[in-house]
Amino acid sequence: MALSADSFAFVADLVRRRSAIQLAVGKEYLVESRLLALARELGMPDVDSYVNAVRVGGKESDHVRVVEALTTNETSWFRDSAPFSALQSYIVPELIAARGLTARLNVWSAACSTGQEPYSIAMTLADCLPSGASAEILATDLSEQVLTRAREGRYSQLEVNRGLPASMLVRHLSRRGAEWQVSQELRRLVTFRQHNLLDPPPAAGPFDVVYLRNVLIYFDIETKRAILERLRRVMKPDGILVLGAAETTIGVDDAWARVPVGAGSVYRPTRPLPANVRAATVPQPRIAPHSPVLSRGAH
Amino acid sequence: MSAVVEHDQVLTIAREVFAAMVDGDPGLLQPWDGDLPAFDQSISAWVDVSGDWHGRAVLTTDKSIADDLARALLDLGADEEVTDLDLVDAFGEVANVVGGNVKSLLPTQGSLGLPQVAPVAPALAGAAVVQELRLAWRGRPFVVAVWGIEKAAEEGNRS
Amino acid sequence: MRALVIDDSRTMRRIVAGTLHDLGFETVQAEDGRAALDVLESGIDVELCCIDWNMPVMDGLEFVGRVRANPAWRHITLMMITTESEQGQIVRALAAGAHEYLIKPFTADAVRGKLDLLGLVPVKETA
Repeated sequence: MALSADSFAFVADLVRRRSAIQLAVGKEYLVESRLLALARELGMPDVDSYVNAVRVGGKESDHVRVVEALTTNETSWFRDSAPFSALQSYIVPELIAARGLTARLNVWSAACSTGQEPYSIAMTLADCLPSGASAEILATDLSEQVLTRAREGRYSQLEVNRGLPASMLVRHLSRRGAEWQVSQELRRLVTFRQHNLLDPPPAAGPFDVVYLRNVLIYFDIETKRAILERLRRVMKPDGILVLGAAETTIGVDDAWARVPVGAGSVYRPTRPLPANVRAATVPQPRIAPHSPVLSRGAH
Repeated sequence: MSAVVEHDQVLTIAREVFAAMVDGDPGLLQPWDGDLPAFDQSISAWVDVSGDWHGRAVLTTDKSIADDLARALLDLGADEEVTDLDLVDAFGEVANVVGGNVKSLLPTQGSLGLPQVAPVAPALAGAAVVQELRLAWRGRPFVVAVWGIEKAAEEGNRS
Repeated sequence: MRALVIDDSRTMRRIVAGTLHDLGFETVQAEDGRAALDVLESGIDVELCCIDWNMPVMDGLEFVGRVRANPAWRHITLMMITTESEQGQIVRALAAGAHEYLIKPFTADAVRGKLDLLGLVPVKETA
């Protein structure tokens, strides 16, 4: 059954309000093809039924999924911009003030997919970390397949077109045939590892910064709470959590304070860690004899 | 001829061009299965690449298929007429983008000529077919070829 | 907001203008750098130029240089949209004053992503 004009209008309005993308009449095929997968996932016979269910249910998470399906095709670099400019304007200054100019920041990109997010973080840090400071980035994802791609750091022309500032492209990637590859120097800063958010957190903590973007939306509220709590246990007490543009801890987990930064927000733990925290999460002195240094202008 | 332009690279380029500019879906350009049928009215669009390596990217198909390609690019209805001007501009632009990406595979900076469209692409002195991809666009035959010649400095080396 | 779409291919101008329309822009078209300068000189207000590189009469790189040299046009964002995708070419374009660079072939999403980076997409409303 072809998409009804009414369903199309609802979706177009939702997408326009959330993403500024205007789906003109004539783009019905796009809405149908992109939402068909979501409809099928829920056992709906067609896109109209799915859209109807979304309208009736009025759930934020459904709205987000619909907008996502229509506005993103592949993973983007510097997605939503604000979470990366926040590194420069708030996160790094805060952490350097607390830890000192030679701080070594421990960053976790917890739903890293094909790697654009951790590499974007690395590029931003390369520009804004003081010369004596350094960072290492743990990047995890559920899928070993995407991690293999991410480790190689090779991207197609279409992929590097998506959200990557041209100045970053020329500084941090090089052409390899029909593709582009992230510089070896940048790749060395990121460790990719498989990890399921429903499992105990990785042992590479405690973390100064955690990026957990656009993945909580797929879980119910109890699971979200559990994931956030697990995260909090492996974050430093003054650490910083960065969520997706449409996401918040508010209404989910009250152990975080929201800090507005630029066009978005970041979150910082407010409550002390639970009493049964394992000793391994207490920060140990770090001896890093030969750590890669991210410094301004290096590439 | 050094393998400057590889089969998979040309396939990737062709699929990206069609996915981004025409179909929205990389899956609509696939390898052609079996022998190519003869075209009723063959038409080619090409662009020359010059520099250390001299060559040509040539797209060849039947006029009816090229017309449909133009319709997709120019947002024309299935029954709308495609003027010669439309066809040359649209089909030529696809060749331009394919050729431009082939150019970027080369080890040194090259330059691109203007796209041209005609029933047959003329011979290019000394050129050999480096790659010839027989493809199916929406199930219809479409050929993407790259011709190449080494420059005079390389003469004497057998390819 | 108004954008000036500069490309010697009518097909490409149509594609770029179409994408920009979907993103809320009005558009004006020009087929080469010289014609584009004429549009700017005529006093038409433009916030964004999307510029092809290889064009007859005046190419995109020269157009970029001319716009950046004119204080009256300092506020105009310049994005090149071109098949030229060698590292050196991108560096040249940025050095000439282009603010962003999009490689052909590109998707509508890619255009939007670049405009997001440049702060040229209308502010999103939240639920």
